[in-house]
Amino acid sequence: MQSLRRILLVEDDPELSAEIADFLATEGYQIDQALTGDEGLRLGRTNPYAVMLIDRMLPGLDGLSVIRRLRGEGNDAPALIISALGEVDERVRGLRAGGDDYLTKPFALSELSARVEALARRSSTIVKETILRAGDLELDLVSRAATRAGKAIKLLPREFKLLEYLVRNQGKVVPRSMLLQNVWDLHFDPTTNIIDVYVGRLRRKVDGEDAYPLIHTVRGIGFCLRAPG
Amino acid sequence: MLLVKTLHSSTFKLALLCIAIFGLILFAFLVYILDTSTNFGAAQSDAVLNGDLQILRETYEELGQEGLTGKINRNANDPRVGQGLFLLTDANYRPVAGSLAEWPLSLPREPQGTGEFELVSDGAESRIFRAQWTALAGGVHLLAATEITDLRQFQRRMAYAFSFAALFIVIVGAASGVIVTRRTVGRIEGINAASRAIMESDLQKRIPVHGDSDEWDQLAANLNSMLDRIEFLMQEVKQVGDSIAHDLRTPLTRMRARLERASLRPRNAKDDQALLASTIVDLDDVLRMFRALTRISQIEASTQANMLRTLDLSLVAREVAELFDAAAEERGSRLEIDGNEPIEILGDRDLLFDAISNLVDNAIKHGRTSGLVRISADACENGAVLMVSDDGPGVPANECDLIFKRFYRSEKSRCTPGNGLGLSIVAAVARVHGANVKLSSNEPGLTVELQFPPSTPSQKSAQF
Repeated sequence: MQSLRRILLVEDDPELSAEIADFLATEGYQIDQALTGDEGLRLGRTNPYAVMLIDRMLPGLDGLSVIRRLRGEGNDAPALIISALGEVDERVRGLRAGGDDYLTKPFALSELSARVEALARRSSTIVKETILRAGDLELDLVSRAATRAGKAIKLLPREFKLLEYLVRNQGKVVPRSMLLQNVWDLHFDPTTNIIDVYVGRLRRKVDGEDAYPLIHTVRGIGFCLRAPG
Repeated sequence: MLLVKTLHSSTFKLALLCIAIFGLILFAFLVYILDTSTNFGAAQSDAVLNGDLQILRETYEELGQEGLTGKINRNANDPRVGQGLFLLTDANYRPVAGSLAEWPLSLPREPQGTGEFELVSDGAESRIFRAQWTALAGGVHLLAATEITDLRQFQRRMAYAFSFAALFIVIVGAASGVIVTRRTVGRIEGINAASRAIMESDLQKRIPVHGDSDEWDQLAANLNSMLDRIEFLMQEVKQVGDSIAHDLRTPLTRMRARLERASLRPRNAKDDQALLASTIVDLDDVLRMFRALTRISQIEASTQANMLRTLDLSLVAREVAELFDAAAEERGSRLEIDGNEPIEILGDRDLLFDAISNLVDNAIKHGRTSGLVRISADACENGAVLMVSDDGPGVPANECDLIFKRFYRSEKSRCTPGNGLGLSIVAAVARVHGANVKLSSNEPGLTVELQFPPSTPSQKSAQF
């Protein structure tokens, strides 16, 4: 499994590349850095990667072409496109070229890491459970029912989906934008604090007054569902 | 200069081609008319001559040469026979009887035939005759002729008249071609000159509109509205630049001051940690505002057509309502949504969600505490209408235009959180969707309507 934690980073700015590599290295990944598209293509062809991080605009061969070529050669390692271009048109273009996720500069390193983590997990095993647990919280994915210490929690369908996503990613920081993307299928950064308010209400329903808190806010980034112990 | 341009212009060349084709057709038509009338006149004379010859032949057969001579002489002296001429000759074409002095020189000496000859008499105009002749038993030749001078004259006059008419039409055509082309070239030159002036410096200049609402005026008007848009965007850029300077500089200066002070202080792990955390939060605010700004310009510049899909407006509205339910609850307000019917429009879900979110967010924030916020989506004849209304203090009429400006925040709302970009996003999204934004009073409160145009089938099929 060691090779699956290996990450390809194609980014032409050496300083940013070094920052990203350092940060991801502390998260336990092994990083191969490439400064040009051609170098990235060469590395992508020769090594198996858990995730490829590819900048959209590169000197020489651009990021989308690198992904398109690798995909054309049957390489299906998940690719995260990093771009300084906007999300409105570019995101669709990037995903159509074979990218799996899209992150706009500037971004928080913790968000990048969360997205890499999600992609790396996708590339390994996907377990089909019917019941998810976090501490004394239990989600029945078949009947769509949630219980906390055996007590039923009344949730709206979207709240259930949100909770399910948090439980599936328990212990990890989930950035707001990933929640929006995976729970609401929205691809923009709202200028309001609406997600916090929404998660706040979910927290009141799930955590209540007497139970220990499961859902935590990570300031400036997003949320984390963590069971004690 | 203009004349040279006129003669070189494609319009003039096209006009010349049209005139040439028209002239050719006209010429062919006139030739045909002349030819037909000539043939008609000849055929009529031939029929008369044929009849005369027939009668004389019968006379010859019944009464012999004597009788025929007598009849011919009688005919020659009979004023009722008119312009008819007769001639009886012997086998060698020497005259025997008749009103002609000799066998006309221009006619061939053949047993029978048809032809025309001219009689020239002194002191008078020459006369033209059409003749038919035949050989009778006994070797004599009989010729009958009728005058066709008038017919020929008529034909000649017709030919003159037609030629003059054709010439006149071609000249008038060419002249009007030049005039029309000159006008066209003149208008194009006007547009060109104005465009050059605009390119060189003056974006405020406009292409002259003559006011006769023809296609040139429409072109000029379209170009002018394009220029209006460019000018508007330029002003926007300037205004946004100013706003960025104002709204981003302040927090950036604050951060810089904080970091500068910290760098001069002795290091202290706890303080440093707090400093870094608060600076990141501040920086995130700046980045968020920056991102919202770039998003607005992206939306405005986005390649509209291929982004839009058929989607259900009322579903998007319900999703927004569901998301904001918690926020409304927090302010003790109620959020109501009308309309369960699917309403198909052409749109982009992300953008619509963003726009409606901003409207609902505003309605909740600026509405009354414990108020009522209503969202409704309705299909109507000319498209669909999405409406968000609150029962708060509303917006004074003089601020209605201003609130769509970037970074605009009314005096009252300065203390509530927000960056003044929400409604700019709404306006940008509306523009991409071809929708109108309408503000009205909810008495009390504010109603914002997004009026979407109908989605046409042709646009639907243009999806990829």
